[in-house]
Amino acid sequence: MAFPHRPDAPELPDFSMLKRLARDQLIYLLEQLPGKKDLFIEADLMSPLDRIANVSILKQHEVDKLYKVENKPALSSSLVNADKMAGRTRKYKVIFSPQKFYACEMVLEEEGVYGDVSCDEWAFSLLPLDVDLLSMELPEFFRDYFLEGDQRWINTLAQALHLLSTLYGPFPNCYGIGRCAKMSYELWKRLEEEEDGETKGRRPEIGQIFLLDRDVDFVTALCSQVVYEGLVDDTFRIKCGSVDFGPEVTSSDKSLKVLLNAEDKVFNEIRNEHFSNVFSFLSQKARNLQAQYDRRRGMDIKQMKNFVSQELKGLKQEHRLLSLHIGACESIMKKKTKQDFQELIKTEHALLEGFNIRESTSYIEEHIDRQVSPIESLRLMCLLSITENGLIPKDYRSLKTQYLQSYGPEHLLTFSNLRRAGLLTEQAPGDTLTAVESKVSKLVTDKAAGKITDAFSSLAKRSNFRAISKKLNLIPRVDGEYDLKVPRDMAYVFSGAYVPLSCRIIEQVLERRGWQGLDEVVRLLNCSELAFTDMTKDDKASSESLRLILVVFLGGCTFSEISALRFLGREKGYRFIFLTTAVTNSARLMEAMSEVKA
Amino acid sequence: MWCGPLELVHRPAWPGPGQLGQKVSSQTTALLRNPWRKEKPASARPVLEIYSASGVPLASLLWKSGPVVSLGWSAEEELLCVQEDGVVLVYGLHGDFRRHFSMGNVGGPGGWGKGMESGTLSLPQPTTPLSRRCSRTGFWMPGSSILSLVLGWLSSQEPTASPSVPTWVTSNSAGCQRCQVSPDTPGAAFTAHRCAFCPWDHQRQKLWALGSLRWSFSTTIGLQSAPSCWTTVCQDRVAHILLAVGPDLYLLDHAACSAVTPPGLAPGVSSFLQMAVSFTYRHLALFTDTGYIWMGTASLKEKLCEFNCNIRAPPKQMVWCSRPRSKERAVVVAWERRLMVVGDAPESIQFVLDEDSYLVPELDGVRIFSRSTHEFLHEVPVASEEIFKIASMAPGALLLEAQKEYEKESQKADEYLREIQELGQLPQAVQQCIEAAGHEHWPDMQKSLLRAASFGKCFLDRFPPDSFVRMCQDLRVLNAVRDYHIGIPLTYSQYKQLTIQVLLDRLVLRRLYPLAIQICEYLRLPEVQGVSRILAHWACYKVQQKDVSDEDVARAINQKLGDTPGVSYSDIAARAYGCGRTELAIKLLEYEPRSGEQVPLLLKMKRSKLALSKAIESGDTDLVFTVLLHLKNELNRGDFFMTLRNQPMALSLYRQFCKHQELETLKDLYNQDDNHQELGSFHIRASYAAEERIEGRVAALQTAADAFYKAKNEFAAKATEDQMRLLRLQRRLEDELGGRFLDLSLHDTVTTLILSGQNKRAEQLARDFRIPDKRLWWLKLTALADLEDWEELEKFSKSKKSPIGYLPFVEICMKQHNKYEAKKYASRVGPEQKVKALLLVGDVAQAADVAIEHRNEAEMSLVLSHCTGATDGATADKIQRARAQAQKK
Repeated sequence: MAFPHRPDAPELPDFSMLKRLARDQLIYLLEQLPGKKDLFIEADLMSPLDRIANVSILKQHEVDKLYKVENKPALSSSLVNADKMAGRTRKYKVIFSPQKFYACEMVLEEEGVYGDVSCDEWAFSLLPLDVDLLSMELPEFFRDYFLEGDQRWINTLAQALHLLSTLYGPFPNCYGIGRCAKMSYELWKRLEEEEDGETKGRRPEIGQIFLLDRDVDFVTALCSQVVYEGLVDDTFRIKCGSVDFGPEVTSSDKSLKVLLNAEDKVFNEIRNEHFSNVFSFLSQKARNLQAQYDRRRGMDIKQMKNFVSQELKGLKQEHRLLSLHIGACESIMKKKTKQDFQELIKTEHALLEGFNIRESTSYIEEHIDRQVSPIESLRLMCLLSITENGLIPKDYRSLKTQYLQSYGPEHLLTFSNLRRAGLLTEQAPGDTLTAVESKVSKLVTDKAAGKITDAFSSLAKRSNFRAISKKLNLIPRVDGEYDLKVPRDMAYVFSGAYVPLSCRIIEQVLERRGWQGLDEVVRLLNCSELAFTDMTKDDKASSESLRLILVVFLGGCTFSEISALRFLGREKGYRFIFLTTAVTNSARLMEAMSEVKA
Repeated sequence: MWCGPLELVHRPAWPGPGQLGQKVSSQTTALLRNPWRKEKPASARPVLEIYSASGVPLASLLWKSGPVVSLGWSAEEELLCVQEDGVVLVYGLHGDFRRHFSMGNVGGPGGWGKGMESGTLSLPQPTTPLSRRCSRTGFWMPGSSILSLVLGWLSSQEPTASPSVPTWVTSNSAGCQRCQVSPDTPGAAFTAHRCAFCPWDHQRQKLWALGSLRWSFSTTIGLQSAPSCWTTVCQDRVAHILLAVGPDLYLLDHAACSAVTPPGLAPGVSSFLQMAVSFTYRHLALFTDTGYIWMGTASLKEKLCEFNCNIRAPPKQMVWCSRPRSKERAVVVAWERRLMVVGDAPESIQFVLDEDSYLVPELDGVRIFSRSTHEFLHEVPVASEEIFKIASMAPGALLLEAQKEYEKESQKADEYLREIQELGQLPQAVQQCIEAAGHEHWPDMQKSLLRAASFGKCFLDRFPPDSFVRMCQDLRVLNAVRDYHIGIPLTYSQYKQLTIQVLLDRLVLRRLYPLAIQICEYLRLPEVQGVSRILAHWACYKVQQKDVSDEDVARAINQKLGDTPGVSYSDIAARAYGCGRTELAIKLLEYEPRSGEQVPLLLKMKRSKLALSKAIESGDTDLVFTVLLHLKNELNRGDFFMTLRNQPMALSLYRQFCKHQELETLKDLYNQDDNHQELGSFHIRASYAAEERIEGRVAALQTAADAFYKAKNEFAAKATEDQMRLLRLQRRLEDELGGRFLDLSLHDTVTTLILSGQNKRAEQLARDFRIPDKRLWWLKLTALADLEDWEELEKFSKSKKSPIGYLPFVEICMKQHNKYEAKKYASRVGPEQKVKALLLVGDVAQAADVAIEHRNEAEMSLVLSHCTGATDGATADKIQRARAQAQKK
């Protein structure tokens, strides 16, 4: 069932080096404060830290107690000041990860503890979550950049790219789209220039790199996921590559934390599958397993010994995993196979295709009225807005009013955020597209304006989803049923209804080795000045390296996109490596935009 | 074997007689090039003159400060002039004033160095490039019988190739003073009076008193008269002072004073007239009033040799002359007109001095300066001796001979060559010739030796060529810098010790940029270490030329430097700014490709706005932030905000900061920009985040609503006003009904009212806030089902036609597992949802009937999927039949 890669697909580089680097640096930092020490860790950093250095490693380096810090700001200073009051003297070290900002020092100074603590940077920016997935674990990137226009993280990103290219580079061909992609790329190149890389003589391993801003394609990220890994993420929330399966999954009274990656053989086979296939696959697998167990019957002593010593452990492990995933499937089925979910998917597909807008709008309204889920409602509204190029004023008002009545007035701010980010907008009567465009191009030709990120706060970004969808053929025309067991294209990740826009762009650019012929699409994406290609003149890249592609998602990517590209890779003999600021999904995007009472 | 004084230099044009070596110690810095510096503390205004080692005047300036007691060169080739009052003035090679610092004013009689004996300032030795060795110097001031002050001469340890800066350490005393250095330890100073132990940080020029240490020499030594001579010795990285008083020798350290006796010292000594420590600090020589010279180790544990010269007159100078690894130890003693080299031999070598001379001990010999000459006395290196000894049969000598014969086309060449080859010594012969060439000063001689080596090489199969090639290169460099125009007469060993980097530095110091660049290019040094570095130095010098206009300087620099890698335009600009040429600095910064590098200097020059745009260009948010905070302090608030307004990137950065740290500032920012939308949002946030009292919250909302009106956002304004109304109402509800209403959404408020049985109020609220019917029905339905108030629910369902249909009623009843109630509503469900409803209540058979009646394929499949087990078997058949029928049609 899990499709094998084409025999000529290139091998993935070994990214465990990144982990080792991060661990060594952390240990070095810990050792700088010799003797016993307590470690306070910000909650967000707990899981990534655990992937790098577990408790026993920390203990080895004399970490005595571990504390989780829930409320972010100014903890260190209150700690230090409390100690000062109590007349205790201790040594303090503040480790910033992945980067220390000047403002951090400022805050410490204002709190009056700057002189008491030593500051350090743990440049831990890339966490390999899987053999082909690197995450920067920066979920705040999305809000900070796409909403607040804060460019702090771009530097971090450029540093991370620089690190990658020193370790695995050079990357001879680069493509990208989006303002953030462009800025990161330029900053990264400047870093390379300043540090005459040793990569120059090396043969490129990863031949192509693609940078993509999340705001180029919000639609895909807003859709409900139906591929197994995506569905697990939507349902249980995969955090830093692992998931907490509750009692309803483990069929015991305990929750279980499970790492989800290629090492889990069962998961590896079903992660990219459409959910409708997963259950039958798992039951088939269970039968096979049973058959293997059953082989014991006819064995003599020697064979039995062999079996126990060699196979049994593997079988048991598989058995355990299998039962876990079956449990997870059941749990998902219970939640998702209800009428509601099918209706939801139906509505989503209608929105993507642009049919029955009226009906969809009233579905959304009902959704809000019934207080089904604030995040879901918001997501549907955004999906409607983007696919329809903004809501018509009447709907815009009434949906917002309904939402405020259901979930409280603070969401007035949420709507203002969504508007600024271009996720939920109002169709302005008379404001034709060309007018917006001329504004954009005027801004962009001015050099300084190239850096303006606030641009979209003044002119809400317009989506031309419908036209793009037509150009790129995102809605496959299928005669008869789409066979989800034998997918034909990337649309299978959305039950055959929609090819993810981001993945389609990547596919097209890789095919054309550039943006030629995609001018119209780029224009429709409002990225006329923001799509770039950079190909090294003397192309030393072997054809094999050209088929190893690093895709960088700025602002997060979803598991569905990963699955779609993995599928594309298998079809075309590519291998994709994903680098994302964080793995995201529709709920995370919406939460990032929401204002909630503290 | 000793080489006589070797005249090295072009006849120098020293100034007239009588000026040299009188009161002032005139000397040169050692190994490298030796600028002569002399001074006439004559009548009114002495003149300070600086010469190169070849006698070329470098600078001459009128001495305007106080009386100078001593002069010395530092390893960085800075001239240190010690004044009576303890102030040290530092000058550059070209007589440019660098800085000054004070060693502390001497409170005791006479002040600094008054009555100083001749030549007691021994010059610091800038010879060792890595300053592992210490430099040392000292003052001696008789006047009272209390010996109390030790001055430390710090060598700052820089592991770089650039020469380190020795630094003065000093302290105060009533009596004698003494500068000395310990190699690696921080300089220490002691006084009897104040007894302060002071590490001295030269760079910052601070003197820290670490503690008190009572310690007086006078009592321990019982010093009646001034010591006749003294010196510093170093043992185990600790500095000591060796002091001679009459027939006794004392060794002083920071804690004790002990009398010492050199082993094997001839009897009858009543006084020591001179003492000298070797360049390596390993050996010590003592000259007694009996004309006897004792030579031994500096630890005074071992005697090496002795010599009796029978001259009782005190020598003017005594210095060691030896090579680092040589066994030939020798001391050079100078009187007015006589120079004597004594060593481990019964005979001495004597030279006549025509003029007043001054000796400078160096790594591998002694420099002798006189008014008209500059000579170098050294031991003949082994290789040269082997080759040039009379009738030498050493392989090198034979090879040289062979080559000469070969040039004469004589067959003797072959004979000599055979002779060497028979002994198998040809490789040694070549090696000797190469080595000897290195020690030759005359190019002709160098050439003939190298030619011999090259000749010999031809007969060898595998002689590695690099030693030959390297020697040729080294000699070319050496010959170039030895030229009298340049005046750096280095020996080969000194050059090797110094390294090429230091030599380049010295050329740069002499502003001999073209030569330095030629050397770099010739030696193919990497650009960053070589050419670029020198060009950068040149540019730094260029910006100091005040007579050239800013444009010309900037252009000239850019033309020369272009985009040479490793050149930092910002460094050059910083230098320009240091010279007070701000405009030039800005022009130079324009050439700096890395905008991040431009920012700090721009800030320093108070071009903050320019700095801001450069910082933004660099993309480094930290840099932007630095500038922002700078601007914030520099400008008044209005101007600051105006600046931000034109820089969106900086603005959003600052906004982010304010959001977390300075909320009030954020408000001001929005106000300034007339950004009413954001201002409204700000107040909304405040209404639930900052304010606690209901009045405060309503007030905040009112402000927000006003702002929204100004922003022409009617929707938001209305919504805010609704919220104000709701808040007030919720407050009232809480007062009247108890329970929690505040902060609930409108929907939840109504639900809560229904749940607590306040149907009337709920309906009122729904009317007041114009809750749409659909919502109200959903709301009521859910709430009543939650209450399990089935009666009320039924009443409600019949109140009028449901705007949401009746399927939700069925669903909600089933959710509460009330099949009975559900069935009631199932019958009322409209036809298109009837099947669903019937299936929900579990009436498969009826659902099938309806589906068949509708002839709806999808509905039939749906029913079919609900058919389970035997009970529904009949129904399933029925559907199948109907389907078949439909298909037939």
